[in-house]
Amino acid sequence: MEESQARHPSGMGPSPAYRRRRGRWIVAGSVMAAVAVLTSLLAFGLSRNPTVVQSVLVGRTAPDFTLPGLSSGQPVRLATLRGKVVVVNFWASWCADCRVEHPDLVAAWRRFQDQGVVFLGIPFEDSTQQAEAFQRTLGGGWPQLADPNSQTAVAFGVYGVPETFIIGRNGVVAYKQVGPIPYARLSDEVTRLLGSPAT
Amino acid sequence: MDRLGTFALMLALALAVYGLVASVAGVRQGRPLLVESARTTAFSLLGVVAAANGAMLAAILTNDFSIRYVAENSSRATPTFFKVLSLWSADEGSLLLWNLILAGYIAAVAFRFRKRKPETFPWAMAVMYAVSIFYLTLVLGPTRPFATLASVPSDGRGPLPLLQNHPLMAVHPPLLYLGFIGFTVPFAFAMSALITGNLSDRWIRITRRWTLVAWIFLAAGLTLGALWSYGVLGWGGYWAWDPVENVALLPWLMATAFLHSVVIQERRGMLKVWNLSLIVGTFALTTFGTFLTRGSILSSVHAFAQSLVGPLYLAFLVVVLAGGFGMIALQAWRLRSEGRFDSPLSRESAFLGNNLLLLAMTFVVLLGTIFPLIVEALTNRQVTVGGPYFKESIVPLFLLLLFLMAVGPLLSWRRSSADQLRRRVTLPAVVGGATMAAVAGAGVRDLAAVAGFGLAAFVAAANVLELGRGVRAYARANHLRVPAAVPAAVARNRRLYGGLVAHVGVAVAIVGITASSAFARQTEVTLSPGQVVTFAGYTLRYQGQHDVRQPQRRVLIAVVEVARDGKPLGQVHPSLNQYPGASDPIGTPSIKYGVLKDFYSSVIGFSSDGTQATFRFFLNPGVMWLWVGGAVIVLGGLLAAWPGRRRTVALEPPARRRELAVVS
Amino acid sequence: MSSSGWRRGALAAALLAAGASLAVVAARGPARPTTMPEQVRAVASTLRCPVCQDLSVADSPSRLAEQFRQQIAQELEAGETPDQIRQGFVRAYGEWILLAPPRRGINLVAWVAPILLLLGGLALAWTAVRRWTSVRAPGPRAVPSRSVGDLSASDRRLLERALAAASEEPE
Repeated sequence: MEESQARHPSGMGPSPAYRRRRGRWIVAGSVMAAVAVLTSLLAFGLSRNPTVVQSVLVGRTAPDFTLPGLSSGQPVRLATLRGKVVVVNFWASWCADCRVEHPDLVAAWRRFQDQGVVFLGIPFEDSTQQAEAFQRTLGGGWPQLADPNSQTAVAFGVYGVPETFIIGRNGVVAYKQVGPIPYARLSDEVTRLLGSPAT
Repeated sequence: MDRLGTFALMLALALAVYGLVASVAGVRQGRPLLVESARTTAFSLLGVVAAANGAMLAAILTNDFSIRYVAENSSRATPTFFKVLSLWSADEGSLLLWNLILAGYIAAVAFRFRKRKPETFPWAMAVMYAVSIFYLTLVLGPTRPFATLASVPSDGRGPLPLLQNHPLMAVHPPLLYLGFIGFTVPFAFAMSALITGNLSDRWIRITRRWTLVAWIFLAAGLTLGALWSYGVLGWGGYWAWDPVENVALLPWLMATAFLHSVVIQERRGMLKVWNLSLIVGTFALTTFGTFLTRGSILSSVHAFAQSLVGPLYLAFLVVVLAGGFGMIALQAWRLRSEGRFDSPLSRESAFLGNNLLLLAMTFVVLLGTIFPLIVEALTNRQVTVGGPYFKESIVPLFLLLLFLMAVGPLLSWRRSSADQLRRRVTLPAVVGGATMAAVAGAGVRDLAAVAGFGLAAFVAAANVLELGRGVRAYARANHLRVPAAVPAAVARNRRLYGGLVAHVGVAVAIVGITASSAFARQTEVTLSPGQVVTFAGYTLRYQGQHDVRQPQRRVLIAVVEVARDGKPLGQVHPSLNQYPGASDPIGTPSIKYGVLKDFYSSVIGFSSDGTQATFRFFLNPGVMWLWVGGAVIVLGGLLAAWPGRRRTVALEPPARRRELAVVS
Repeated sequence: MSSSGWRRGALAAALLAAGASLAVVAARGPARPTTMPEQVRAVASTLRCPVCQDLSVADSPSRLAEQFRQQIAQELEAGETPDQIRQGFVRAYGEWILLAPPRRGINLVAWVAPILLLLGGLALAWTAVRRWTSVRAPGPRAVPSRSVGDLSASDRRLLERALAAASEEPE
């Protein structure tokens, strides 16, 4: 093993090699610091769910739409519902999670429809027949609107189903749920919005 | 079967622990017999891990659905070929394969050094056993392939549709693993050199061929991955800058830099710390790759999501980074550069430029891959970093690298005269310049494409001429005719000629990539049976659709007749595969491959009454060149790695470094 | 030295051809999309398909991507600029719908990093080269390289043997 001279041959202070030997701890320390930064970044990455995407619509006015009823053809315009709490649920007959959340929606609808809360269902990338069959078999009752070229879904930033938007009396999106919405969450939000003013 | 598998894995873990302890104890207490026993343990380890893999294979083939992995990844209806492949189609199974390949490499190293063990051997074995312990712990702990189900289902779910659509699934993952895991060997020897303080160049010379072999496997795996994306996924492209694709590319880029810079260390005694850092970095990148792929940190088409082992992978990565770079930082003071840098016009500076550019490319890809994470950590916003970012950032770097790939082989070591360079570079430059002028004159408007074609021609001409020059010089010196001289001339310096061939392969691949990026055309049409459409000079007539029912899926095939200039060219059959478990069908494209262009067709959907079909047709020029280029790169690597006779030098030329002269 | 003369001329011509080609193409500018499908593709290739991994809306075969493309076509026909269309999607989905981060704020780091890195690497390489140039070589002086043709036949053989043996891998 080669040993470095502690002193420079000329006798003037520590040799370059000795300085490098001492300096190695500084370098090693910097390496550890860099590794620590990377580790905390990756640990942060582990702590979050990669499939959850933030919603940008929360806190903004919901995009207006006019869509015909699925079976009736009667148009419904969102802006005319200002002053009421509106629950907009995007779903599809081919979506297993929509089946899972449907009873929760039915229960919430039954509870809140008399309080003036409007439930709207919008099938996403689905055929009219299959959507109607789904509602018939599983029971529903609130209006289903047709969005054939998904323009409304895109305006709401929908990228999968089910997605549920709860809109307050002032037309602002108060809450967005990606995935099946639990009854408890739905009723909590709606109750809170029913208590808040319409402006 | 599961008990057998689990027992085999536990035994393997015990053997690996023994191997680690015996290696360390043997070298520290100076007991060579202990080291030898650690060496032979590698063979038992391989046997036992192979038995575990065999047990899983047997379980799959006998439809043993009591094992959760088999139930989730195989089914009775799956064809036998794909049943075998399902061994590595998901997380737990592919980790079993990973362990097998790792054990195989350890056994190969043990076999290779059965007669003469270098001083660094015991610690290298210890490091490899330690890595093996980590991966064995994974398959015995959180990612257990032999976990059983409480109630046995009657049939399994079957592999993911995407993974049983094509036989390329057979070779793409194993080749990648052979590449990734192969870098463990040079890493282990480098760590051993750092630990023992034996910092001569031996660790490089010992592991040079191993590194090259791993590099070759990885190059083949990446090429086949691109081929799979192109021929199977149906979106018309071959590389999507998916995070998992990126992390497979990263170690290959760094290993390429390493393969070049070790030549400088061997010839001139320089860049010692740099090379140690590169090999630690390469191995760390492979570890980072497993972390990203299996730690569910990013969503990706490849990622085995919902795994709970992220913290374990992260811990291992931290140990590798801190241990590897920490040791380098502590030992670097011992390593002094022995050589001088004589002239900026030399092959050394070309190699330095090569390293600089390749490292820059590695960093760009790495940054782009984890940038969304950084942004979210710092600002709680989400961004996407996709194709446009990578293309814009990498292309200029790669064009510069192409330039070096042409000029580097033309420069001499230590010092080149401008005259000499001019003599060698003129003809290739003329070829390159003429190509650029021709492409620009043909009306191409993409600046990168013009530069790409020109530089590719420049690289090909320079390297081919250099090949010829070397062979001719040998022929003249030995009074042979040129054709007869080729085998002997090449055999004398396989590494150089292999490198030249690999450069030519890169040039060919670049032509393919540039042509397909710049000149691809596509269209989307909905056709009724009998309807005709014209696209890019082709006349396409939709004949109709028919169903094929297979045990594991239902295939809806659309038949389209293709003609060009009135001449019929046959049919294409893009199809949609409907698997029972999946909600969306998986499309299979139908491609007419050609030397100059591919005609690529995929069917996106059928109307609900089945009469109309929506197609996507692509004209992809030059894609064939990409596969050929990849194959030539692999061939170049094989040529460079081919073993030659060992020779001792009868002569001691004056300006020779002492370490190279003698076979030790 | 006529042979070297024609070489100089040829090399100059080659560099000129290359430079001129690049200049002409750069001046001509990239091809602007003309037909509506091309324009839609141009916009769609800058947006990320939300339901597939890392594919652009232009490349993705999914139904949602198809709807995106139809909407883009409608908006283009209505006279919206590509930037306005992109902003519309960002309003609905968020910034991540763009396939590459906009060059603003913290995202600038990603765009600028490659150039900074290259320059930084060059600086590092330069300092390293200077350090090496000042290191004294321990052995005999470096032999300047000469071309093979200058040696006698026996010298050439000697040299080639030595070179070949040196490049053999003595494992």
